[in-house]
This record gives sequence, structure tokens and C-alpha cells, in this order.
Amino acid sequence: MIIEENMSVQKKLEILSDAAKYDVACTSSGVDRKGTSGGLGNTVAAGICHTFSADGRCISLLKILFTNECIFDCKYCLNRSSNDVVRASFTPEEVCVLTMEFYRRNYIEGLFLSSGVIKNPNFTMELLCETLRMLREVHHFNGYIHCKAVPGASSDIIEMTGWYADRMSVNLELPTAEGLKTLAPHKTRKNILKPMKQIQIGRNELIKPSTFIETNRMSGYAQSISVFDMNSIESEQDQPQILREEANFSLSKSKSELSIRDKILDTNMTGYDSEYSLGKVRRPSINRGFVPAGQSTQMIIGATPENDYQILSVTEALYQKFDLKRVFFSAFIRVNEDTSLPVLPGGPPLLREHRLYQADWLLRFYGFQAAELLSEERPNFNVLLDPKCNWALGHLENFPIEVNKADYYALLRVPGIGVRSAERIVKARRTAKLRFEDLKKMGVVLKRAIYFITCSGQMMHPVKLEENYLTNQLVGMKERLPFGLSGDISYQQLSLFDDLKFMNQNININ
Amino acid sequence: MLTKRIYVCENSIECIFTGIYDAWASNYGHDNNRIQVEESNNEPETMELFSEYIHVKTDNEKAIKVANSIRTKISEEAFQMVCSAAWSCSSKKGDIIYRFLILGFSMGSKVVNHMGDQNVMMIFELQRNVTYEVHHFLGFLRFIESDSNILLAKIKPQNDVLRLIAPHFSDRLSNENFIIYDEKRKSAIVHRSGYSWIYTLADHLDINKFEEYSEKEQEFTSLWQTFFDTIAIEERRNYKLQRNNAPLRFRNNMTEFKN
Ligand code: SF4
Repeated sequence: MIIEENMSVQKKLEILSDAAKYDVACTSSGVDRKGTSGGLGNTVAAGICHTFSADGRCISLLKILFTNECIFDCKYCLNRSSNDVVRASFTPEEVCVLTMEFYRRNYIEGLFLSSGVIKNPNFTMELLCETLRMLREVHHFNGYIHCKAVPGASSDIIEMTGWYADRMSVNLELPTAEGLKTLAPHKTRKNILKPMKQIQIGRNELIKPSTFIETNRMSGYAQSISVFDMNSIESEQDQPQILREEANFSLSKSKSELSIRDKILDTNMTGYDSEYSLGKVRRPSINRGFVPAGQSTQMIIGATPENDYQILSVTEALYQKFDLKRVFFSAFIRVNEDTSLPVLPGGPPLLREHRLYQADWLLRFYGFQAAELLSEERPNFNVLLDPKCNWALGHLENFPIEVNKADYYALLRVPGIGVRSAERIVKARRTAKLRFEDLKKMGVVLKRAIYFITCSGQMMHPVKLEENYLTNQLVGMKERLPFGLSGDISYQQLSLFDDLKFMNQNININ
Repeated sequence: MLTKRIYVCENSIECIFTGIYDAWASNYGHDNNRIQVEESNNEPETMELFSEYIHVKTDNEKAIKVANSIRTKISEEAFQMVCSAAWSCSSKKGDIIYRFLILGFSMGSKVVNHMGDQNVMMIFELQRNVTYEVHHFLGFLRFIESDSNILLAKIKPQNDVLRLIAPHFSDRLSNENFIIYDEKRKSAIVHRSGYSWIYTLADHLDINKFEEYSEKEQEFTSLWQTFFDTIAIEERRNYKLQRNNAPLRFRNNMTEFKN
């Protein structure tokens, strides 16, 4: 390993931000917190972008690794131990000063602290935790902090970190356990899911000061199981293979009468009592809550052969089982020469990543389920169509719907109608019957929506609801893809993004 | 046909409210009145024939009466919409607000849902435009620290957003002394550590101070520049997307775009 003595902070920043840049989550969202007298900073739930880098992505946080002196050897990573790159480490104080001074100048919303594994996971996690403690308690920093949990670190130190951080994340890295095995030999699915589960349980139990420490740990957990029981009525056949395999890492197939979702949960129950010891550490004197902005994760798309259905199903399970706030996708970029890594002729699969983000949006805000959007028979998205149009074309029997009557969720499923415009429709139709002209003013993209709706019983133009005809119409339409994503496809207006201009956050920027 | 009466107001919320008060009190018939906001630096709008021009003199008492009526007889939400509209850069805002209020005083709080009405839609548009710019400045504004430890920021907003961004920064930087200066309107927010912010005209502010970097300031500027340059992923380079997300007009005062 190449380690330089007396490296300047400037040089360290260069190395350790360069090493952190592939981490995709840079949002500062999820928690509203007022400023404190004597402290510096507040947080805004919607998140704030402070600038945009040359790749067009939002910069919201000072995103750095604490160190890139890593003992692991993940094939896809520039900092893997077998690579011959210059190594550097910050001191906790250096990270504090950078964060404070950048924050005062309004460069950033806060800190995103990740790290390579130096010496061992516990040693690393302790350094991260100490940095956060100093920021909060010595420098009185009250802005946003996102901190990685290092897989394999002890639960005490992860819990302590959770009291200082707003958001934590453990990278899933790859959609399946097999993928992980081939490309990240030092990581296991279990080591990744364990801190994730711990943080989830911690958030349920520790977030309310009144339930702190004294509560019966199992009670909250038992509760969450019953919630899942209610949600997991969907039949097992609808679940893709991946989840079943996933489940197998704790349960044999013979127990398949349990729904897949509960199996995943069971997985984590194994050893729960012995391994999770929440409420053991002493809470800091200022209680900002335990990981109040929740947790996120990310996975690499296209480095391993999983299909979109597998990826989306894992995503859905992460939301439902682990209560994640966000799941991020990162198109695979080949930074290392390694025979185990694919060579993708088209470069990083950015359009595929984009379609997955759109689908993720549909899961989170539109009430869709992964199994509605894809299936074993059709496991990948048509990159020419956004996932919502794709779905509508496969479900023409649901259309057209009457704008003046249909409920909110039915409206949300119409191509050309977004969250904001659906809300406006529901609000506005209380005072007046809506006409097509009115819809346009509410932000509905009529040229797409007209195939799927009626106003007072009339369609705008008579059209035949026939799949091939409509597919041609919709594919031929201009879709507003994020710039630079056009490829051979003409720019087309995305029905899913019809609302984008009204939104603070742009989904392709995170 | 009656001669049209055009109330010409200065570009301030107080004067617009005064104009609306006067127009209302005249009992001349709303259809025959119009509120027009004077564009400070531009030439006067083309005069219309057969119209009577009335120059409105700001009267704070009348303005407060209008403000209070909006809050009590329509709603707080409507009041906020009207304020945003009045701080927007639209040249038509005066009359849009007037028409919105005519409808609002007859309908009450329901008016904000009455999207079918053109003026309600337009107020929404104005507010959206202002909110959008406010949100951008929360992120894009940059402070420079002077030798005397005062944080200084210059912005050049299209809309008069100072008073809308002030609460955010006062809360966030409550222990700092800072000034946010609107280059276009020569007005400023001044915040002293531990006090609440004030809005003031600032024609006399020595803006050259903004250009004096301390050594420490240069150090952080260049650290930030380094971070900004390295964090971009070469394989995803996408200037169009960058320009779409960080429009050029915001970049003048953004440290990282200065060279
Ligand atoms: S743990 Fe793996 S991904 Fe993280 S820095 Fe080390 S090699 Fe890279």
C-alpha cells in the first residue's frame, strides 16, 4: 500500500472524495430539524441541492471516505486492497473542520461519511463514530449527517453512531447473494442485512424517547411481524426466484407455506436475541433521535446478471421488510481490469438505471407492486417505454377511466398524470366538473393521457384501445429523458416525470 | 362606456395593496379599474387612450388593512400566495392580485381550489415561479467570510426573494453575523448573531468588501473547488444535465463556477 507521510488536507480531500464519488446517495432529505442556539445548522426534510457536478448529479453533502486504506478486495472497487492506488486517511478533526467551514459558507447540507475498512470493521466504525461525536458534541454541528454502517462492525458501535447520524446506510452492493460472492468475497449477505435490521429495529424502538431502553424488545418486533402478515397476502408464485433463494439462507424450502416475505424476516430473527443488544449504549445528551431520517442502501446494476424483475423485487422487499427510505441504483462502471467483471459495450447502463429509478418511484409513490410491473415471463423493462406506460399498455381493460369520478389511486395509474396533478384533480373537481382544458392547466400531459381518460363520459378524440396501436403512439412520443440519456431513442416526454417541474428533487440526480 | 381608471403603483407590496384599496373604495366598478405596477428602470408602458392614470401613493395603513382582510376574510394560505405573487417579477402581477382578491372576498377560503378561474391559476403560477427560485437560492447561495468574520452573500434573483429566504438562513446560521445582498434591487438581509433578521435597503453598502478574500477564505474556496471537481464521475459527464439543474443565471456568485 502506498501511504504518503504528511499529506495536505487538500490532497487527502482529493483522494478521498475521488474514492467516494461512486456512492450514489447524496440526498439530504428525510428530516426537519430547527436550528439550535449555540449550534450551527438545521435540516430540511425535502433536502436541498447545493450544486451540480459535471456529471449533472446533485451535490448536497460533503461526500468523502474517511479512509481508503481498505483490507477488503471487492472486485468492482477502485480502493480494493489489491489495487495500487495512493492511500490516505483523514483524522476526525480534519473531517469536522471541513464540514463546519463548508457548511457555514452554504456549500453543503452536511456530511456523507463512508469508509474503506481499515484494520478491521470495528476499528473503522469506531473512527466514524468518533468523528460524528466530535461534530455533534464538540463543534455543535446540527446539520445533516449520513454515515455508512460497516458490515461486520459490532452492534454497540453501530447503535452509538445511530444516535449521531440522521441517516445510515449499508450498501447491499449487488442484488443477489451469488453476485456478492463473486464480486465482493469479503462481504456476506448476512453481514450486510444484520446492521440494516438492527437499525430498523432501533428506529422502531429507540426513536421515541419514552420507549427507550426499558421497553420489551420483542414487543415492537412482534408487532412488525403482524403488520407483515397483513401485507403479505400476495401469493408466493408471484414472487421471483431471487426472494426464495434469499429466504433459503435461513429457511429450507420445506417451510414454503410461509410467505416469502416472512421468510426474509425470519432470516433476521435468527440470532436476534443473542446478537442485537439495543439500548446498551449511553445516548448523547442532545437527543436528535435514532437515525431519524431512516436508512437507505444501494446496489450496482449490470455488474452481475440479475434481471430487472429480480432487482425490483429485492427493492420492494427492502422497503417492506427493512423499512428503507430509499434504494439507490448505480449503473456499473468498470474501473478495474478484472476478468470477473463484465465489459459492457454501451458503457454504464444509464438508461436501464433510469428505468429502474422510475419503477422505484412507482413502488414508493404510486401504489404499484413489483409483480404488477414485471414477471418471470417478462423480467425486463422495455427501455423504449417508461414503466408506467408499459404497465398501462398491458392493462388496457382498466381504461378509459372517468376523471371526474375515478379515485386518487386510479388517477395515479394514468400515463400523463403524476402525483401533483392527481392531487389537483381530486381537489378541483369538488367545485367544478373538469374538462380537458382544465386538466392541461393542472399539469396533466394530455397528449399521453387522452388515450386513457374520459371527461364527463367523453374521450377527447375517439381512439381504439388496442395495444399495438397505442404502443406505437406512445413510443413515438417525445419523452423527456434526463439529458445525455437519449442514445438512439428520441427525446420523449416521460409520463412519470410530468410532475418533475413541480418537484424539488429530480430523481436522476441523487 | 366609462373611461378606464388605471392605478399605477410602485413595485412594492405596500403600494400594490394601497392601489387595490383605492380602487375598491372608489366604487367605480371593478371592470373599469386596473392595477398596474410601474417598472422601475424601464420606460413606462405604452399609454392607453381613453384611460385615466392615477398614481398611487403608498399608504401603510391602507396596505395593512388590505393584508388583514385577506388573512381574516380569505385565508392565511391565500395571503401567502398573494405575497409571493407581489414579490414576483411579473409585470402583470398587480392586476392579477386585484382580480384574485375580488373573487376571494366573494368566495372566501375556497378560492384557492378554484383552479378553473384564470386569475387563480395565474396566482398559482406566480407563486410557483417564486417558490422555485427561493428553493434554488437556499442551495445555490454562497457566503464568503470577510476578515471581520462576517459572512457575505450576493445574489441576483429575478423575483424579490430576500424576505422569503431570510428565515431559513437565520435559523440555520443563528450564531453567525451575515448579510445577503440583492444586487439587482440593492436591498439586503442583515442578521446579527442571536438576533432576528432585518430587511433593509442597502444602496450604501460597500459591495467591494465582497471581493476581499482573507487567506483562510482562499483556502476553503480552493478546498471546495477541489471537492467539486473530483466528485464528478468522468464516465457520466453530462454538461447538459448540469446546466439544466444549475442554470447559468445562478452561477455568477457560486464559488465553484468562478474560474
Ligand atoms: S470494502 Fe470493498 S467497496 Fe468498500 S472500500 Fe473496501 S474494497 Fe471498496
